Amino acid sequence: MTIYAKNLDPNFKYELSMELGGENLEYCFNCTGCSCGCPVAEVDPTFQPRRLIRMAILGMKEELLNSEAFWKCVSCYTCFARCPQDVRITEVLYALKNIAVREAAKGNIKIKTTKPIFDKLFLDSIKNNGRVEDAMVMAKFLYKTKGFKGLLDLKDLGLEMFKKGKISILPKKIKGKKQIKNIFKRAGIK
Amino acid sequence: MKYAYYPGCTLHTSTKEYDMSTKAVCEKLDVELEEIEDWNCCGALGAFSYDYFLSVVLPARNLALSEKKDLVIVASCNACYHNIAKAKKLMDGDENLKKKVNDVLEVRYQGKAKIRHLLDIIVNEVGLENVEKKIKKPLKGLKVAPYYGCLIVRPAEIARFDDQENPQSLDHLLKKLGVEVLPFPLKVKCCGASLVVSDEELALRLTRNILLTAQSMGASCIAVTCPLCHTNLDAYQHRLELKYNVEIKMPVLYFTQIMGLAMGIEPKKLGLDKNIVSTEKVIEVVGEV
Repeated sequence: MTIYAKNLDPNFKYELSMELGGENLEYCFNCTGCSCGCPVAEVDPTFQPRRLIRMAILGMKEELLNSEAFWKCVSCYTCFARCPQDVRITEVLYALKNIAVREAAKGNIKIKTTKPIFDKLFLDSIKNNGRVEDAMVMAKFLYKTKGFKGLLDLKDLGLEMFKKGKISILPKKIKGKKQIKNIFKRAGIK
Repeated sequence: MKYAYYPGCTLHTSTKEYDMSTKAVCEKLDVELEEIEDWNCCGALGAFSYDYFLSVVLPARNLALSEKKDLVIVASCNACYHNIAKAKKLMDGDENLKKKVNDVLEVRYQGKAKIRHLLDIIVNEVGLENVEKKIKKPLKGLKVAPYYGCLIVRPAEIARFDDQENPQSLDHLLKKLGVEVLPFPLKVKCCGASLVVSDEELALRLTRNILLTAQSMGASCIAVTCPLCHTNLDAYQHRLELKYNVEIKMPVLYFTQIMGLAMGIEPKKLGLDKNIVSTEKVIEVVGEV
């Protein structure tokens, strides 16, 4: 891969470091310990935490934000635990996702993975009810991303769970749901 | 012994058996669980990715609510435990952040609240010798693969009660129940967590390693400490079997369900009929309770 200096954003590392979780980004000395222990890298060699951190430090903002890679992190904190430089990689990737969500909301980038759609539906459920009915969020997500076909694909599991009393159609609302709505509002989350 | 119980959303919905077995076991151990009144979702793994600040505020409300009763919070879910403990750590180390959080909350977090995982409470507060006293029926013949998952042991600055590479508390606890504890090499290897939602194919490669390793070691079941791990290993197991054309049929039990069996609690009270992969094989090995 050729990296063109003219396409780099030298301020991106500072932008990322300013985010909650991104503070230690620049401590990375590129040792690859994170990639070695990563369970996702083991089953998908295109996912390399070291590469993501390197790209961020170099300022490859556009390529990074437009890539699906960092959405594959499973937040297992294995790299975090093993990093000799305390880069806090899992947290840096959260910061990166936060930036991507905001940039996508402004229309500057288009996120290809469906993970943020799920996260948003999940948070909507919290905002409206205070709690989450996980199966219903999943159903909404499947419908939104894959239509009826998506719902049908998981119908066996859904039915099994329903039979075992694990799905209730109506979400349980907490008494303080107005408090929760206000939290979202004051925190500036739509 | 009394604690503020934080079940988390899934224990009231898709993982009821964990809630049922937690309550049944705690009752036998004289651990009183008082559910935090009007608790809210901790944000699970979605809030961090969407908005980091929100992921601190949501658990902070639960911390604040627990302070009203001055009880230590006990959480059974690894992710809830992680989120609440992390929010506490971040706020306690940053007065400015704590102020910002309190500004958006309508209840006030003072900083006194504490949170621990159920496994930590059972092993380190109740104590293994007291668990042993309650055992009615040692589970001879059962081979168990202990699976901790991630957030119960990592990161060490938040989850401090066991080792992050080779934890032992669940191993020791299971041994006391009379089972044969397998030296499970993937005990802290991730199950794929919420990746199963957006990239099922990739997530199933992770669960596949865990399930097939347990199977090749001759495990009668896997013991878990987290509803998310349970969903991936148990509920998605049949999809994995279809995808890879393998037969696994590996029962995945919450550690509290296994404890309950050893304590002579009837399987129905432990929700053993609610696990997706049949747990009958386990009940057969254990014999009549």
